[in-house]
Formats: sequence, structure tokens, C-alpha cells
Amino acid sequence: MSEVRTLIVDDSSVMRKIVERALRQAGLDLAVILEAGSGTEGLEVLRANHVDLILSDINMPSMDGLEFLRQIRAQSLAPGVPVVMITTESSEEHVKQAILAGAQGYIRKPFTAEQVKERVLPLLSAA
Amino acid sequence: MLFNGVRGSAIASHREDGNKEMERTMTLSLRESVHLVSDPRNLDESVEEVFQLMLGVNCSRCARPSESVELESVTAVVGFGGLLSGACVFRSGASTAIKVAKQMTGMEFTEIDDTVKDGIGEICNMLAGAWKGKVPDLAANCGLSIPAVISGRNYNLHVQAPEFRLNHYYSFDDARFDVTIICDGLQ
Repeated sequence: MSEVRTLIVDDSSVMRKIVERALRQAGLDLAVILEAGSGTEGLEVLRANHVDLILSDINMPSMDGLEFLRQIRAQSLAPGVPVVMITTESSEEHVKQAILAGAQGYIRKPFTAEQVKERVLPLLSAA
Repeated sequence: MLFNGVRGSAIASHREDGNKEMERTMTLSLRESVHLVSDPRNLDESVEEVFQLMLGVNCSRCARPSESVELESVTAVVGFGGLLSGACVFRSGASTAIKVAKQMTGMEFTEIDDTVKDGIGEICNMLAGAWKGKVPDLAANCGLSIPAVISGRNYNLHVQAPEFRLNHYYSFDDARFDVTIICDGLQ
């Protein structure tokens, strides 16, 4: 797989590192890892950078992951770039909200590197 | 398209059923399923799952220690809101908190710094999410707060007359910690 520029949005720096490690274990060639601690910061990163993949938490201060996703679509930032939500929220209702907001994938915390691989790689292949 | 077992086609019916869903949510009560919500096995399964997947360790329930030998401790709290109000509380001594953070990140720590607190907060967040996820009505109708983490010596967490309370002790290797689910309101 060619080099992937990835944005990871999570208010926990530890979780951002864990997600990055899982992506590497999944075999992704991570050319650039960009990080943001909230949806607001994530939008700023996207205005200044091109990315191939976005992974975002939902429960975050300042701007949560669902609003971040809606703003990406509303502002036409990162068109066609797959967004995967990684969150502790696991109900069908939360998954539906994420799909409605424009997510292409959903991973529940806690997760394994294998789950990340299964959900992320097909999206990159299709993009 | 498949999202953790939920098909994208569910969206169409979701919109059509929106009013019915709202009505159902408004009248839903967890009172009748309090035995499911307070089932102690849900907490044990949640702890085992989170520690196995995120730390790669097998965690098991143990007896309450007679007394703590560590003065410094770390407490993480994630609040529940919605049909159930209360909190999930993770508590450990400093050495266990450092060990958990090391297992999560692969980094070495010598003290309870911001990264250790961040890691413990995330563990508590995942425990709270996994625990409420065991009961579908709870998963769908109970939100989680951002984790709050306290560290220091000689402090106590006091909650007045909860609806129910689960307090279990766990261990892996030589590390010990306890997890408490406090329910102070159930609709």
C-alpha cells in the first residue's frame, strides 16, 4: 500500500499513540501522522493539510467527533477522504448517527489491531 | 456497507422510524431491568475485555486487600448521564497506574505525569463504555462524560446513598486496582 497521510483526532494523547501503533501493525505505510485534540483542532489541520484518512473519537471537549464530521462535509474539507470513528460509544443509535454524519467506518474501543486492519484497509483500497 | 454489524441501509428506516424511536426513548425505563444493569458479571467481563485488548494482560477479580501500602493513588472518574446517572471510578496505587500506562504506550514512567493520568482516564472511559454496552437500552440512552483524573495522597471519594453500587477488586501480575460503578439515579 502506498504512503498514507493520516489525521488522528482524540482528546487523549495516549489514545492517539495507540491508534497510530494499531495502524502500523495493520501494515499501513504512514507517511505523515497529523494529530488533533478536538474537532476544532481537526478542522484547522484539514484546512492546512491534505490527508488520505481520518480517524476520530466522538466524545471530545470543544467540538465532538460527530460535529467535526458534519463540519468536514459542510465545509467540503477533505472530499472523498474516508472517516472512521473510534469510540467507546457502541450502541446502534450512535453508529447510525455516525453514518448520517458521513462516517465510512466505526470501531469500538477497546479494539485490536486486527479490527483496525479489517475496517480501515478496505476503505483505503476503495478511495 | 457494514459498520460493526449495522448495515448502512438501516439509515432509511432510521429516518422513517425517527418519531417512533423518540417516543420509545422518552417512555423507556431501566427500572424494570435493574437486575441486568446491576449484574456484577457485566463489570468483571468489561474489565477483562478492556485489559486484554488494550494492555494484553489477563486480569482477574481478587479479594479486597486488607490495607493499601501505597500512599499515592490515582482515581479516574467517568460520569454517566441519561436514563442512568452515576459514575464509573477506577482507583489504583501509583505503581499500578504507572504499570498500566507503560503497558498501554510502551513508554517508561517514573512518576504520575500527565501521560499516565491520560492513560488511566482512557482506561476508565473504556471500562464505562464497555460496562454500559452490556445492556442495550443503557448503551443507547446513557451518555459518558469526559474522564476526570485525580492523583495525590489521603483523599476519599464520597457518594451519598447510591441506588446501587458495585465495587470489585482486580489484579494482573503484581498490580492491583479497583473499579466502582455508582448509580445514583435510574429512570
